[in-house]
Amino acid sequence: MTTRRQGAAWVFLSPWVLGAVVLTLLPMLISLYLSFTDYDLFDAPNWVGIRNYAQMFTEDPRFWRSVGNTALYVVIAVPLQLAAALVVALALNSVKRGKGFYRSAFYAPSLLGASMSIALVWRAMFNDGGTVDSVLSSVGLDLGGWVNQPGWALLTVALLTVWQFGAPMVIFLAGLQQIPRELYEAAAVDGASRWRQLLSITLPMLSPVLFFNLVLQTIQAFQVFTPAFAISGGKGGPADSTLVYTLYLYDRAFTASHMGYASAMAWVLLVAIGLVTALLFRSSRSWVFYADKGA
Amino acid sequence: MRRKWTTVSALACCLTVLCGLVAACGGAEGVSGGVALRFSWWGNEGRAKATEKAIAAFRRTHPGITVQTSFSSYEPYKQKLATQAAGGDAPDVMQLDYRQISQYAGSGILLDLAKRPELRRDQMDPALLRTGQLGGVQYAVPMARGTQAIAYDSTLWAKAGAAEPAATWTWDDWAAAWRKVAAATGKAGSTDPGYSEDWFEVWLRGKGKALYDGGGIAFTDEDLAEFWQWCTTLRREGAVSSARQTTQMDGALDNTPMGRGNAVSDPSWDAASSGYKSLVGDSVRIAPMPVGPDGKPGQYFKPAMLIGVSARSPHPAEAAMLIDFLLNDPGAGEVLGVSRGIPVNDGVRAKVDPGLKGFDRRIADLQKGLEGRLAPPPPAPPKGDNTLQSTFQRDYDQVSFERMSPLEAARDYLTEAAAELKQ
Repeated sequence: MTTRRQGAAWVFLSPWVLGAVVLTLLPMLISLYLSFTDYDLFDAPNWVGIRNYAQMFTEDPRFWRSVGNTALYVVIAVPLQLAAALVVALALNSVKRGKGFYRSAFYAPSLLGASMSIALVWRAMFNDGGTVDSVLSSVGLDLGGWVNQPGWALLTVALLTVWQFGAPMVIFLAGLQQIPRELYEAAAVDGASRWRQLLSITLPMLSPVLFFNLVLQTIQAFQVFTPAFAISGGKGGPADSTLVYTLYLYDRAFTASHMGYASAMAWVLLVAIGLVTALLFRSSRSWVFYADKGA
Repeated sequence: MRRKWTTVSALACCLTVLCGLVAACGGAEGVSGGVALRFSWWGNEGRAKATEKAIAAFRRTHPGITVQTSFSSYEPYKQKLATQAAGGDAPDVMQLDYRQISQYAGSGILLDLAKRPELRRDQMDPALLRTGQLGGVQYAVPMARGTQAIAYDSTLWAKAGAAEPAATWTWDDWAAAWRKVAAATGKAGSTDPGYSEDWFEVWLRGKGKALYDGGGIAFTDEDLAEFWQWCTTLRREGAVSSARQTTQMDGALDNTPMGRGNAVSDPSWDAASSGYKSLVGDSVRIAPMPVGPDGKPGQYFKPAMLIGVSARSPHPAEAAMLIDFLLNDPGAGEVLGVSRGIPVNDGVRAKVDPGLKGFDRRIADLQKGLEGRLAPPPPAPPKGDNTLQSTFQRDYDQVSFERMSPLEAARDYLTEAAAELKQ
């Protein structure tokens, strides 16, 4: 009986298993192999040992620039995005009428934002003579186009991400609705202010959801590509200021044809994301509160 | 019984999926009874129309050969072609850039065209033909002839009281004119030339030097620092475009300072400059590039693009016939006109020339004026140079945004260049 059932399970799983093996596992293993070679798309790969990895860490200033840019981007974009999502979710949670409409309206940017076209519109808005430049100039702040200045360009990429706070917002909303009403009623009876309730009830009760969002958005932020690619015209400029990790990886792979080096970079990114996620999980022990565990 | 059914259905499922995969990987087969060639190239709509017309004419004279074309703009084309070549699936006939030749030839992707009698080369300029050779093997042939030129808005130029540019103008003569134009118009006199390896090469050649010499870099950090220092002085004076403007250069004319209305001239390529007509107006003119301090021109006749045949093509003879038709047939020459630059075949060029009007006329006249005065073009840049163009612009960004001194950035560039060329 069980074997027959298992057989049926494998039949139904077979499309997925095939897909996972052929389209994900196999390419990953091949890229692991290529990361130890000098593969350049044109000639057969030669084994070079850890040269790619050594070169990355010791003699490639652009690699470190891309790491720095990505770290800066994660540190700016993730907290801002989560803060925006949380504030809007809190506001929406207390809205009585038209909640569905507002929820959709705030979610809409997330549907559009990942696309190339929005990134191009974003570039036009923050360009010399674009909307942002014109509006700021009209109030006497002549900063010029943000995308053409090394100090500002990465910020425009981060802002594009922050604007797409829809997904974490919806998850926050769901989390907020799970918090038992009695807690607030009891707090109100004890004379706790709204602010006090937020700090002592909402945030602790929401911390598992906050943690979930933090992990998810951090992983995504490390892999940011489309907005940086579109806003810098694929070059990571001006002066490498928007050269994020995946953009540099793409540059090595497809512009410079150093596939082996790019494969090595991909594996370093995978390990780095794994480490950061592990750190987040470790830190969660001290700040995430699970109500059911405590009881 | 049921057990058996499960096994059978499992096998059936696997087979279905496998069939799908095999079919997807199969690719297009030739049309039965005839020869099907694949021809890829980069360009715009105008070039596409001319090319399709020429291919229709080819099919009339060569029944039994069909040609499937595909085209896109340059950057995506470059990446797609590299991926195809890596998969052993390069098109039969492919358009190539000067900077791709070493890479493709060195990797055995291209056929030796000298061994294909179908492709006649006797009416082509030998110096230009050599740009498609590597180690004596003709991997590709030039499709058209182009050269560097400075495009400028002649109305604003005259209004500013600057003299008409002359073929004898040195870099400093140009700088003086740029200052004058900038002071009178409030716009930059020119795009800052420091962003591009192409203009640096003209500057170097004017001094009797070169970018490459037998595969390695042939100039010193001091040469490059001197050029960038010269640009920096002009940039600080406002005679050439600011860092913010220059950093937007990406190969598209509408993103140049001149295309955006912030500068009055732009170092460019002769055929490409015709695009300024729609951005600036009919007052656009082209002038030869500045000459070196002792009057030596640094610019050269360059293959605007080359064309080659895949070494794996099952139909090398037909592929060579197609190229021969596109480059040597007078009828095709008439249809293609100067959509890729001035024709390389002397006979076709002479035939097309009288019919040229407007900007095409200016391009032809500019080239005529330069004939006999220019040093031969350098051999194809070494493998790795493809990447160095963007490295050059990036390093100059560091200079123009005042994050590095010209000498620091020049050393940075040479370090990276050495690493790229070694690989």
